[in-house]
Amino acid sequence: MFENILTNPIFAVVITVLVCFIISTLLPGIERKYIHARIQQRIGPPVTSPGIMAPLKFMFKENVKVSSPVPGLYKSLPVICFIVVLCVMIALTPQAYMIPALASLVAIVGFLKVEEICYVLMGALSKSVMSVNMPFPDQIKGAAHNNANRSFIEDISAKRSLRMITYGSFPLYLALFAPVTAAGSIFLQDIVSFQQVNGPFLFTVSGGIAAIVFFIGYMIILNEYPFSIIKAKSDVIEGPYMEYAAKYRAVVVITRGFFMFVLGAIFSVLFIGVPPTIMSWGILINIAVALIFVFMMGIFSAFSPVFTNRQLLPTILGATLLGILSIVLGLL
Amino acid sequence: MGIKSFSRARAIHVMLVYTGGCNGCDIEIVNSILSPRFDAEQYKVFLTWNPREADVLVVTGPVTHLNRKPLEAIYEAIPNPKLVVAAGSCALMGGVYKNCHGDIPSEEIEGPVENVIPVNAKIPGCAVRPQDVLAGVVSLLPTLLDAD
Amino acid sequence: MDEKVPKSNIIETEIPMGTVHPAALEPYRVRLFVEDEIVQEAEITIGVNHRGIERIMEGLPVEKANALTEKICGICSNSHIWNSCRTAEMGLNIEIPERAEYIRVIMGELERLHSHFLYLAHGCEVLSHETFSMRVFYMREIVMELLAMIGGNRVQYGCSVLGGVRPRCDLDEAKLLRLKNDMDTIEENLTGFVDRFMADSILLSRVTGIGVLPQKQAIKLAVTGPTLRATGVARDLRTTMFEYDNFDFNVITQPDGDVKSNLIMRALESFESIKIIRQAIANIPEGKVVNRDWEMFDTDIVQSYIEVPRGTLYHSYRLEGGRVRHSIIRTPSMANIGAMQYACIGDQITDAQLCIVQCDPCFTCTDRAIEIIRR
Repeated sequence: MFENILTNPIFAVVITVLVCFIISTLLPGIERKYIHARIQQRIGPPVTSPGIMAPLKFMFKENVKVSSPVPGLYKSLPVICFIVVLCVMIALTPQAYMIPALASLVAIVGFLKVEEICYVLMGALSKSVMSVNMPFPDQIKGAAHNNANRSFIEDISAKRSLRMITYGSFPLYLALFAPVTAAGSIFLQDIVSFQQVNGPFLFTVSGGIAAIVFFIGYMIILNEYPFSIIKAKSDVIEGPYMEYAAKYRAVVVITRGFFMFVLGAIFSVLFIGVPPTIMSWGILINIAVALIFVFMMGIFSAFSPVFTNRQLLPTILGATLLGILSIVLGLL
Repeated sequence: MGIKSFSRARAIHVMLVYTGGCNGCDIEIVNSILSPRFDAEQYKVFLTWNPREADVLVVTGPVTHLNRKPLEAIYEAIPNPKLVVAAGSCALMGGVYKNCHGDIPSEEIEGPVENVIPVNAKIPGCAVRPQDVLAGVVSLLPTLLDAD
Repeated sequence: MDEKVPKSNIIETEIPMGTVHPAALEPYRVRLFVEDEIVQEAEITIGVNHRGIERIMEGLPVEKANALTEKICGICSNSHIWNSCRTAEMGLNIEIPERAEYIRVIMGELERLHSHFLYLAHGCEVLSHETFSMRVFYMREIVMELLAMIGGNRVQYGCSVLGGVRPRCDLDEAKLLRLKNDMDTIEENLTGFVDRFMADSILLSRVTGIGVLPQKQAIKLAVTGPTLRATGVARDLRTTMFEYDNFDFNVITQPDGDVKSNLIMRALESFESIKIIRQAIANIPEGKVVNRDWEMFDTDIVQSYIEVPRGTLYHSYRLEGGRVRHSIIRTPSMANIGAMQYACIGDQITDAQLCIVQCDPCFTCTDRAIEIIRR
């Protein structure tokens, strides 16, 4: 009876996802305390504060009436984001390889695209108090362009997210497809088994370049500091997340930590060939990869200012070219 | 201590609103959070600029006419439970601008902050010292923990 | 470089920011008129923190009025009380002891250091470079401690009084030694920071050519202070002030008028301030610090201009039975608002706040002589 439960694939998936989720809540704290605070020569917050305690606290806050034209949709978006990230995580576990439609790169790319579209919708639907809604008499006699069309700061953020969809996330997707050229299949099962036979894809020339491109794409899709134009503090404050309060903000915070882990897991599946499962010690490699990525991202973001479109375009162009190079090398 | 109080004690988000003081308090408060010397984050106090995220609203300055409505709007935007800290003598009693004048009193001051929004804690000083700001925010903890 | 004209006059949308915004340390409203994320026009609305200082100064005893001018601004508070005392001293022909003059200069230069460090830290913060911002704030903390040591408070220290400085602010041997040692620390840290900043190619690419203010335009807009000097005009009122006669320093200029020039300008000027403080420590004369031997009489309108960290500060008032009448104060940021609006044109929205910050705004200083029409 007991053995039946242990070997039940659904049980294994649930336990794997749960363990990964718990570890992922620590990641924002690790980034803040051990990277940013260390570099800035201060003590920094406790590890548990940003990732675990803050969402818990938000859970217990009273809900507010969201200032948005479609409050229902706006509130559901972070939940959709979380479900999408959860689906990607499930697709990565070896037990899910039985369903080829789920455990393929096309499905993962699709899920990531949904995530990106959510940012656009969030930005477009959020109407916070910090810009147009601020009760301040500035459209008065003598002011410039009194009849101009007025936008909220989140609207800029929505436009920027759209730009990110069109070209910003190119490097990540190119890097995702680089292993396909080596394995010759878009199914995760084939990619993993190919690497278990031929050694990790990371240690080939094409894989090495693709890993760098993946890292740039990882920072872009997580909106971490040099690439955080959709939520840059210097103009759009928090961008798409402006209006989330209480439970919904808790989901937003949790999703971010979980997304960091899941992207790390994608890397370990595609480039090292170790799928996350509680059934083997390989999960330690997944955790290590996620941690290394968080460490690298923390160091990068602590030492770089926010990019504007002017710097962003060349960076993304360069990364895209590298990604194409890695795919070409893989095909040769 | 329930999980509610436990988590609240470990993540306090502070929002700063300046309502027309002399800048002294504002910079000291930003200093107390941004400068590695005081580093409010080690006491689990985080600075945020989004009212939806905030728990504690720190107000500095006597509230001038044009600042009254923005202050009220931001206060409204913060989800419950919320607390307000008035920092600096201007926020406590209008400061020199309200109380110390020659022939003509100033008509621009709506403050002190108490006249506009309810205040839970007061931090005296002109300008407030960063240590006092941290102490003031931390002294609110019991009130914050017991709130629903 | 000639006048910058926006590429087109199409205004796609307007983005208001403020009055509370993370990139601004003070309440003000800025409306950006943009086309495709490029700012075509900017309008800064001030008057948000208008407290009517000149009006409440009317009829105050001059000593009290001096103390009140200090509350105009929390960043350059010492400059205001210094200039206000200087105005009365010029009107009443009060002779100031030389030691007091030296202490005033030391305070003025310390304040310039803390204002410039705040500028650098705030600039890095607006660039979202938290690490550099914190490093500068850490340096600034040394200056703040020194100010607290001399004046007894971290922000409003009230150093100058009529006829000299407060006896509390007198510098003994121990204080001078600490001042001297801390100047060495600050110079070392600042050198390190500047080297690190200039070696960072990402940061430099981010600040070069942003928010350009051409020299012609700067003169046309009557810009003052470091913002003017960053466009290549060597104009510093300290060269004409009698307090600075005994000091040897250079007037720093930078060629371009962009954010990079402004940042480097402030850093280099801080080194000059350190130089002046060192000279003052070395040559400080003995004697008393306050001259109580003066009489009050009615005066005409007296005007006084001094150079403060952000530019030229002007105070003027008339004394009538020991009370202040017709006070007028003109602060540097008032002149620089035109520059802020101008610098935004043609840059990305992300850089708009940076362009405003590069002119070192102090809206709390500025918001005084504005008529508010209530509806």
